[in-house]
Amino acid sequence: MVSIIYVEPSGKSHAVNVEEGWSLMQGATANGVDGIVGECGGSCACGTCHCYIEESRFAELPAPSAGEVDLLDTVAAELKPNSRLACQVQATAGLEGLVVTLPATQG
Amino acid sequence: MFAFDPYSPVVDADPFPFYKTLRDEHPCFWSPQAGMWVLSRYSDIVSAGQNWQVYSSAKGNLMTELPNRAGATLGTTDPPRHDRLRGLIQYAFMKRTLEALADPIRDIARSTAQALRGKDRFDFIEDFSSKFTVRVLFAALGLPLGDEQTVRDKAVLMVQSDPHTRAKGPEHIAAYNWMQDYASNVIAERRANPQNDLISHFSMAGIDGDRLDEREVLLTTTTLTMAGIESLGGFMSMFAFNLADYKEARQAVVANPELLPDAIEESLRFNTSAQRFRRCLQKDLTLHGQTMREGDFVCLAYGSGNRDERQYPDPDVYDITRKPRGHLGFGGGVHACLGTAIARLAVKIAFDEFHKVVPSYRRTQEQLAWMPSSTFRSPMLLELAVH
Repeated sequence: MVSIIYVEPSGKSHAVNVEEGWSLMQGATANGVDGIVGECGGSCACGTCHCYIEESRFAELPAPSAGEVDLLDTVAAELKPNSRLACQVQATAGLEGLVVTLPATQG
Repeated sequence: MFAFDPYSPVVDADPFPFYKTLRDEHPCFWSPQAGMWVLSRYSDIVSAGQNWQVYSSAKGNLMTELPNRAGATLGTTDPPRHDRLRGLIQYAFMKRTLEALADPIRDIARSTAQALRGKDRFDFIEDFSSKFTVRVLFAALGLPLGDEQTVRDKAVLMVQSDPHTRAKGPEHIAAYNWMQDYASNVIAERRANPQNDLISHFSMAGIDGDRLDEREVLLTTTTLTMAGIESLGGFMSMFAFNLADYKEARQAVVANPELLPDAIEESLRFNTSAQRFRRCLQKDLTLHGQTMREGDFVCLAYGSGNRDERQYPDPDVYDITRKPRGHLGFGGGVHACLGTAIARLAVKIAFDEFHKVVPSYRRTQEQLAWMPSSTFRSPMLLELAVH
């Protein structure tokens, strides 16, 4: 299990134990975290699991695929340098304690 | 001794008691009848779906695979090939692309529903969902009109399996071959006269400068047609089945169609159409004390994961206010259903229009005839009586 701290649009934060290998999107939807939709189920096809990664740890993540970069251009909330699609980031031991902030809208 | 046979008509009719025993007592179960392991808990299925390097789809994803199909379709390839193939097709199924289809879909729904006016009983599948589904799919894929009924009949037949031989029967293979010939003709026609539609683009596309091979073009087109018709139609019949049985839920969505999306999500969880898909292990793996071997097939029982009390409290209660996030009604991970957006859009519009003509209905038959299929679950006939 990897502890991920999700910050909902309301500002409320949840520390969730996410199974290793699950995506940050699955960790949120399976544990009742608000502010994330994940309409396409995790196949990188909808842009409704947009999140902001803790800035100081952004570089620890593997780089996004070309498909994710294309889709990030379509997200509903403001695109920032630390934006990612949560379905494309896997929870791994190295991400223990990562803070993931969810935007006010997923469109 | 406990047995789980996904070919059994008893499982077609009601798999849920079996699933409960699997989850509670045998969370990693070897089924000799299926010839594979069965994973039934929500978290194990999500984990397996994420771990495509170990749980490979390249040897097929249907529980009873069609000959020569594995490796040539989205559902039967692994990344990175899968991702590139999906990249060529995905745009056509994205929400914003589909917005243009909302009005045509509504016209189809309205005219199909109008034909039910004045009837006091009818078969929802024959008289509504099949007609609607096939016309929507033809519009979405740009298929030429004329063969709709035959295409629908073959799509439904090719996903079935024989409960006695536990394999595809000659009639299922014949339907599959017919569908390939049909797809082949459409592809040839589109190459000769390209249109601005999915099959035209796809049949002439390449990946990294390589053209797709013929088998990929043919079997992906065949699979899109099969999945589009059978899965959409199958789910609509399950949704009607739920709304016929749960009167309060039906009255709520009829009074306020804005509630339809929530009801659709709950039915996707409660009566998942794709009950089971399979993967093939790429290395030995021990889970819940059982050691599965490289090369073994593993069934991911989505329909069971969606009824797992470890994830969804009171899982056997149908509750349209549940909002069951993260459900496995469309699978999940890289292989999550390509058609999620069109399915949600089409089902919502279909029931909105259907309920304008038929707002109150019930099932006439206590016992339903269920489709014989190791992979999918839906009734063959769903007669409704209008109140």
